[in-house]
Amino acid sequence: MEKQDIIKSFKDSLFTGLIALALFGPIVGLRTASKGEGLFITPQWGVVFLLVGLCILGRFLININSARRTEFKIFSTLSSKFSSITEGKAKHFAITGILFAVVFPFLPFTDRYFMDVAIMILTYIMLGWGLNIVVGLAGLLDLGYVAFYAVGAYSYALIATTFGWSFWICLPLAGLFAAFFGILLGFPVLRLRGDYLAIVTLGFGEIIRIILINWYEVTNGPDGITGIPRPSFFGLPFKRSPDEGEMSFHTFFGLEYSTMHRIIFLYYLILVLALITNYFTLKIRKLPVGRAWEALREDEIACKSLGVNPTNTKLTAFAIGAMFGGFAGSFFATRQAFISPESFTFIESAIIVAIVVLGGMGSQTGVVLASIFLIGITEIFRDLEQYRMIAFGGAMVLIMVFKPKGILANRKPTILMHGDKK
Amino acid sequence: MSNLLSVEKLTMKFGGLVAIDDLSFDAKNNQITSIIGPNGAGKTTVFNCLTGFYKPTTGQMYLHQADSKVSLRKYTDFKIAHVAKVARTFQNIRLFPAMSVLENLLVAQHNELMIASGYSLYGLLNLKSYRDREQQAVEKAKYWLDIIGLTHRADDNAGDLPYGDQRKLEIVRAMCIEPKLLCLDEPAAGLNPKESAELNKLLKFIKIEKKTGILLIEHDMSVVMGISDHVVVLNYGKKIFEGTADQTKNSKEVIEAYLGVDE
Repeated sequence: MEKQDIIKSFKDSLFTGLIALALFGPIVGLRTASKGEGLFITPQWGVVFLLVGLCILGRFLININSARRTEFKIFSTLSSKFSSITEGKAKHFAITGILFAVVFPFLPFTDRYFMDVAIMILTYIMLGWGLNIVVGLAGLLDLGYVAFYAVGAYSYALIATTFGWSFWICLPLAGLFAAFFGILLGFPVLRLRGDYLAIVTLGFGEIIRIILINWYEVTNGPDGITGIPRPSFFGLPFKRSPDEGEMSFHTFFGLEYSTMHRIIFLYYLILVLALITNYFTLKIRKLPVGRAWEALREDEIACKSLGVNPTNTKLTAFAIGAMFGGFAGSFFATRQAFISPESFTFIESAIIVAIVVLGGMGSQTGVVLASIFLIGITEIFRDLEQYRMIAFGGAMVLIMVFKPKGILANRKPTILMHGDKK
Repeated sequence: MSNLLSVEKLTMKFGGLVAIDDLSFDAKNNQITSIIGPNGAGKTTVFNCLTGFYKPTTGQMYLHQADSKVSLRKYTDFKIAHVAKVARTFQNIRLFPAMSVLENLLVAQHNELMIASGYSLYGLLNLKSYRDREQQAVEKAKYWLDIIGLTHRADDNAGDLPYGDQRKLEIVRAMCIEPKLLCLDEPAAGLNPKESAELNKLLKFIKIEKKTGILLIEHDMSVVMGISDHVVVLNYGKKIFEGTADQTKNSKEVIEAYLGVDE
């Protein structure tokens, strides 16, 4: 490292400090406090100098880090090491992950809170896997994915409360409804790509939400739907005191009643649903339709010149992606027992898209890691209340700085001529 | 030699601009027909009309089959390749760069594989009939890769291949749909002399062994003169000359179109 490099980066960091001072000075430095008869400004310059100092130091370290190209790139070497480990042992990694997920509810440190977080993470993993079909494989940026989640949840809730059918009948129906809406969205956007497609899908997500709010007769508007039946264990409900002549889960198995039973059951339910989604995606990626999705993502004109029907190919991607969103929606409805349009805002779509993009487009393992990372981090920092969104944003920035193509960005061919060389 | 393709009075207007003006020509079976002309003469527009990317303003294009002729105007978009079996390549290579070489060739066999996979149902059930059909498709891909000498790179990403190999891959990918007519848009652009010679060999192979008619747009005269059976010269959307390679070389109109006229 040259001397002038140090001087240059030092100057640069001083300049950064100047900008930080201009920003933090008024925002942090001048604190307003109300004391009896009015507002007073209490300056807190100590905090300002601390923040500015941190900025200068941080900038200086980053400069040095990037100047010494080979010697000192901690983060990038770490992350590349990490991806080479997961690359070589993808299969072991997946199996260990699934085994851990299976025994998780019975680990000694697992309590109610851990289970709730795990169920939430699994729901997002399932949504991420569903959206991965649309965004990762077919390359159609869908910012309104939450619409299908909502359609699934509302179809489940309405069918279950109106007809009283069991979860296992309502689940496929909800998936079908969502798939139907996927095709409904698919038709008008067939010609659109990239940014334009993103805007229209975003609008679609909002349309669904606004319909749910305003169609009071059916959806009960902003009040939402209450009393959605809880799932039963193959006909055995999770109730403390079952009705006359009815068996409950704990009486049937002769167990002490515990609310954890239902939560563990829900956990396994979403685990199975998510694994089905994953299995299906991995399978269909290797079929002609999966290859056509990826080919369409790569070059639509070339696809047409080879006789691939882009309309059907896109619609199947939308429909199948939406179907899994619908399944996840039904699960959400039965878990919460109450749904309202508030659960299906744009931020949900954004989080799911973020999970897919940060995980590495098209990578199934990447979705898992990104879900754990993003949802987990916001949960860990829950005590910080509103500041936890900073952690969320920070996590995104970190991934984008060090892995701009996503955590796991490598794509494996769907078929090999010479077999696996590794 | 029987006709494979007849273009009759084809006109394509973009607003006030007449890109192709009353163009008629024939391409024969088992022959290489070249379309040449200065830049902007309308060559690629002819291709885009033939392959369904544009709908011509007026005129007809017929593809002759054993005992009937099919109007290409009836088909648009992907159906040209799927039903009429007219394949094409592009001036700027359009491979699927992030997919492997083998996958590129399998996408070209999409429609047959889709039926064999029972629209994904048999494929999801992993039935043997589908696995066999897929194996067959891989064999076909291998056959073509052997011909262009890329079998050892079958599992690499198409985008990682050298430029010349990408050109060749795009041509054999088009051949995987088993076309009756293969339209090549400047296949020799950016190739060095050795690669051009290889390309000539490949095109002759397709013409003789595969009995596929080839329609070729090209600026590289070593390719055009070396392999064309028939040459059509365009300028400002009009046909100004038609004949064999030797006749074209000596034609006054063609030389004028390329080099200009003495004042």
